[in-house]
Amino acid sequence: MTYYALLFVAGFAGSFHCIGMCGGFACALGGDPRGPSATAVRHVLYNIGRLTTYCFLGGLAGGLGWAIYTCLGTRSQLGVSVLSESLNAAQRGLAVIAGLLMIIMALQFFGLRWRHQVTTGFGGSTLVVALRSLLSRRGHATPLAFGVLNGFLPCPLVYAMVAQAASTVDVLSGCLTMVAFGLGTFPTMLAMGGLGRLLAPRWRQRGVRLAGGFILALGLVTLGRGIVPVTAGHGLHHIWHFA
Amino acid sequence: MTAAPEALCRHCLLPLGRRGFARTVNGESCQFCCYGCCIAHQVKSGSGDASEAAWLLVRLGVGGFLSMNIMLFSLLVYSGAFTGADRGVLPTIQLLLWGLATPAVLILGEPFLRETWSQARGGRLSSSALIVLGSLAAYIYSTLAVFRLGGHLYFDTATMVLMLFTLGRYLEAAGRARASRDLAPLLAAESESATVLEGAEEHRRPVREVRAGMLIRVKPGERIPVDGLIVEGCSHTDDSVISGESRQIAKTVGGCVLAGSINLDGPLLIRSSGSGDESRWAQICRSVRDALRQSSRTQRIADRLVGAFVPVVLVLAGLTLAFWAQRLPLDQAMLAALSVLVVACPCAVGLAAPMAHSLGIGQLARHGCLVRSPGALEALAVTRLIAFDKTGTLTLGRPQLIDLASDGAGEDEVLSRLAGLERHSEHGLARAIAIAAGARGLDPIATEDVQIVPGRGLRGMVHGELVAAGSAALMSELGWQLPPALLERADVMAASGHSVVFIGWSEKGCAGRARAALSFDDAPLPEARATIEALRALGIRVTLLTGDHAGAAARVAATVGVDEWQAGLLPEAKRVALDQCRPRHGAVAMVGDGLNDGPGLASADVGIAVGSATDLARETADLVLPADGLWLLPWVVGRARAVRSTILANLAWAFGYNSLALTCAVLGLLQPILAAAVMAGSSLLVVLNSLRLERLPGPVYPSALQVSAAARPETERSRQRREIPHTWGDSSPRPET
Repeated sequence: MTYYALLFVAGFAGSFHCIGMCGGFACALGGDPRGPSATAVRHVLYNIGRLTTYCFLGGLAGGLGWAIYTCLGTRSQLGVSVLSESLNAAQRGLAVIAGLLMIIMALQFFGLRWRHQVTTGFGGSTLVVALRSLLSRRGHATPLAFGVLNGFLPCPLVYAMVAQAASTVDVLSGCLTMVAFGLGTFPTMLAMGGLGRLLAPRWRQRGVRLAGGFILALGLVTLGRGIVPVTAGHGLHHIWHFA
Repeated sequence: MTAAPEALCRHCLLPLGRRGFARTVNGESCQFCCYGCCIAHQVKSGSGDASEAAWLLVRLGVGGFLSMNIMLFSLLVYSGAFTGADRGVLPTIQLLLWGLATPAVLILGEPFLRETWSQARGGRLSSSALIVLGSLAAYIYSTLAVFRLGGHLYFDTATMVLMLFTLGRYLEAAGRARASRDLAPLLAAESESATVLEGAEEHRRPVREVRAGMLIRVKPGERIPVDGLIVEGCSHTDDSVISGESRQIAKTVGGCVLAGSINLDGPLLIRSSGSGDESRWAQICRSVRDALRQSSRTQRIADRLVGAFVPVVLVLAGLTLAFWAQRLPLDQAMLAALSVLVVACPCAVGLAAPMAHSLGIGQLARHGCLVRSPGALEALAVTRLIAFDKTGTLTLGRPQLIDLASDGAGEDEVLSRLAGLERHSEHGLARAIAIAAGARGLDPIATEDVQIVPGRGLRGMVHGELVAAGSAALMSELGWQLPPALLERADVMAASGHSVVFIGWSEKGCAGRARAALSFDDAPLPEARATIEALRALGIRVTLLTGDHAGAAARVAATVGVDEWQAGLLPEAKRVALDQCRPRHGAVAMVGDGLNDGPGLASADVGIAVGSATDLARETADLVLPADGLWLLPWVVGRARAVRSTILANLAWAFGYNSLALTCAVLGLLQPILAAAVMAGSSLLVVLNSLRLERLPGPVYPSALQVSAAARPETERSRQRREIPHTWGDSSPRPET
C-alpha cells in the first residue's frame, strides 16, 4: 500500500509539471455556463478520461512486462539454467530498463534535454492539433474524449510511470501503478479547472524539481532492484514488496 | 474514376482512388480519398461548435474510452485476476464488457460500415468490408457467449481492431497531408486571391478574375499572384517556383515580377501584365494537378492486385474457419479467421506509390521542374542512356566571340570597326560582335555605304576607306592579301568547328589586306560539363544528337566530355537514332530545348525539355526543366531513382509483410488485436518510409563543385544572365501563346 501511496505522492508532485501543459487544457476547458456543479462534472469527466488512458497504458505495460517475463521464463525452462534464477533475470532486466528510463526522464525535469524530438514528435503535434479543435465543444462526451486523447500526449512523467508499470510484471499492478499516479495528479488538475493559473512560476519550477526528485528516487530504487546481487536483491525485493 | 476537376482528395491532395467518398464539411461538399483524410481535414479546418470535426474526435475519444476500458478488463480477466475467490464477479464483468462494447462498436464501426455499404452498392468489395466483417463476427459471437453459450469473450478484439484501424487511418492521413505540403503552393494558383486596387478601395478577388492592367497590392511575405510590372515599392523576390533557384532577386519600380514568386521584404504595387490564369505559375499548377491525377503503371498494378485481393481474403478466411473448426473449439477457429481478415487489409499497398509520387513531383516542382506524369518519373529512374540535343541545350544557343587573331592591328580597333560594320547586319554573328565590343566598352566606328555581299560578308566605307568583313573568299575577291600566319590560325579555328570571319581594310589609299580573323562559336553552357560528369557518375551513358555539322559536334562533345555523338541528323533521323539505342540500353531519355526537337522528345521514353518557351499545355516533353536548368538534371535523376526505390521498398514491404502475416494468421499463430496493430503499423511504416524522401538534399549549382578553371569566367557571365531572366525571353513574364 505504501508503494501506491508513494506513487500517488509522485503523481501529486509531478502534477506541478502538468500545470505547464495539461493545466492549460484544463483552463481552456473552462467552466460550464450551467453552473458550478456542471463545471465540476465537466472536469471530473475530463480527468476520468485521462485516468482511463493512464490506466490502460499501465495495464498494457504490465501485461507486456508479464509477457516478456513468462516468455523468457519458459524459454529458459527448455534450456539448462534453473527456472527461478532465469525468472529473476528476466524481471531484473526489466527493472534495469525501467529504472534507466525513469532516471533519463527525471533528468529531463532538471533541465537536461536528451533529444527534443522524443517528446514533440510527429504523433505529438498531430494530437495537439486534434485537441485544439475539441476545446470549443460543449456536452458531456467532449471532456471525456478530450481527457482520453489528452492522456496520450507525450509526457516524460507518464513515460516514466509506464516504465515503472512494466517492471511490475503484472496487469493489475501495472494498472494500479498508473491509477495511483493518475489520482495523484487529480487534485492539482481539478483545482486548475476552477482556479486557473494561480501558482507563481517560481513555485511551479520548484514543484517540477520535486517531481524530478521523486522520479529519480523511484528510478534508482527500480534500477537497484535490477542490479543488486541476487541475495541482497532478494532482501530488497522483500522490502520493496512489503513497501 | 471520375474525370471531374475535383478528383483530388481535399485533405492530402492525392488522387481519390478506390476508397474515395464525399462528405459535407462546414457546409461545403468535399471529396476525400479515405476516412482518415476526412477526419484529419475536419480536425484541421474545423472551427466553432458546429464543426463535425470535433464531433468525429469526440467519437474517437469516447470510442477510445470505451475500448480501453474493455481492453483493461479483458486483460485483467486473461491474467487471472478474477479467479479463485473473486470468481463470483465474473458474470457481472461480462455484462459490463457487453455494455461497454455495444456503444463502442456502434461508434467506431459506423464509418467503416458506411464505406462498405457505399462501395458494395457500386458492386465492389473494399478493404473496410474485411474490418467490418471481422469485428462484427467477434462482437456477435461474444454477445451470444454472454447471454447464451458461455465461454470466452472477444469484445476487446472487436473494439480494439476498430480502434486501431481508425487510428491507423488517421495517422496515415496526417502523413499524407504532410507529404503534400510541398504541393500546396503549386496547387494554390487557382484558388489564390489577389488584392486588387480599384480607385481608392482594395478588394480581394480570385486570381482568375484578374485582367491585364489591373493594379495589385502584394504585402511582404505574400506570393505574387500575377505577372506584372512594379509600379510602386521595391523588394526582393524568391522565384524558385518558376526558375528552380532559391535566391533573392532585388526588384524595384519598373521591374518585372513573376506570378508564384514570393515577395520577401517590401510592399509592392504591381500592374498586371496578363490575366491571372495565363501566368506560367498557373500553367505549372495545372500541369502538376494533371500529373497527380494520373497513375503510373506500378500503381495501376498495385491497385488491381488490391481489388483482386479482397475476395481472395474472404475465401481464405472462410477456409481457415472451416479448417480450424474441425480441430479446435469454434471460438479459436473464429479467432484465426478473424486474424486472416484483419491482417490482410491491404491499406499499405494502396498507399505505397501515390505518396512517394506526390512527394517526388512536389519537390521537383518546387525547384521549377515539372513532371507530366508519375510514369515519367519512374521511367527516368531506369533510364541508362540520355541523348542531348546540342544547340540551345548543351550550348547557349547564341554565337559568341571565341578567338581573335590579328595581324598588324589592335584588337580594339578590329572590334570597333567590325561592330560598326555589323551594325547594319541582321546576321546572328552581328549580335555576338556587338556584345563583345560592348563588353570592352568600345563604340562602333561609324560606317557608311554598307553593302551585303551575299554568302560572303559585308563591305562598307569608313572615312573614304574600304572596310570588309566575311569569308576568305570575300578577301580574295577584293584582291586583298591574306597573311599566311593569319590563314594558318584561321584554319586551326575552322578545324575545331568554329565559324571564322576575316576583316580587312585599306589604309591611305593603298590596297587593303586582311587584318584579323575572328572565330565564333555557340559556346557550351558552363554547367554542361559538370552536369554530364554528374550524370556519368550516376551510371548513365550520354550521347549527343545534333543537326549541326560534324566539326561543331565533335568540338562541343569534346568540351563537355561526351564520347559519342552523331551529327547532321534531321529531326526524323534523331528519332531513328533513339530507336537504335533502345535495344542496347533499354529506356532512353532525350534532352532538348523543346522548340525544334519535338519529334525526338516525343519518341524518347522520357522527353526532357530545358527552358521550354512554348505554352506548357502544348508541351510534349514528359519533364520540363526551368530555363537555364540543365544543371538540375542529375538531381532530378537522383530524385526519380529515390522515388522509385521508395515505391519498390514500400511495395516489397507491404506485400512481403502481408503475406508473412497472412501465413501466420492462417496457421492460427496471430492474435487479431496484434494483427490489427501490425497492419496499422505497416501503413504507418509506409508513410514514414515515404516521408524519408523529404529529407534528401536539394539541388546544388555545380559552380561550387566545378574545378575547370576555363569555365569559371563563363560561369560568372551565366550568373549575370540568370539575374535578368526576362531580357532573354525564355522566361518572359508572359509566355507567348
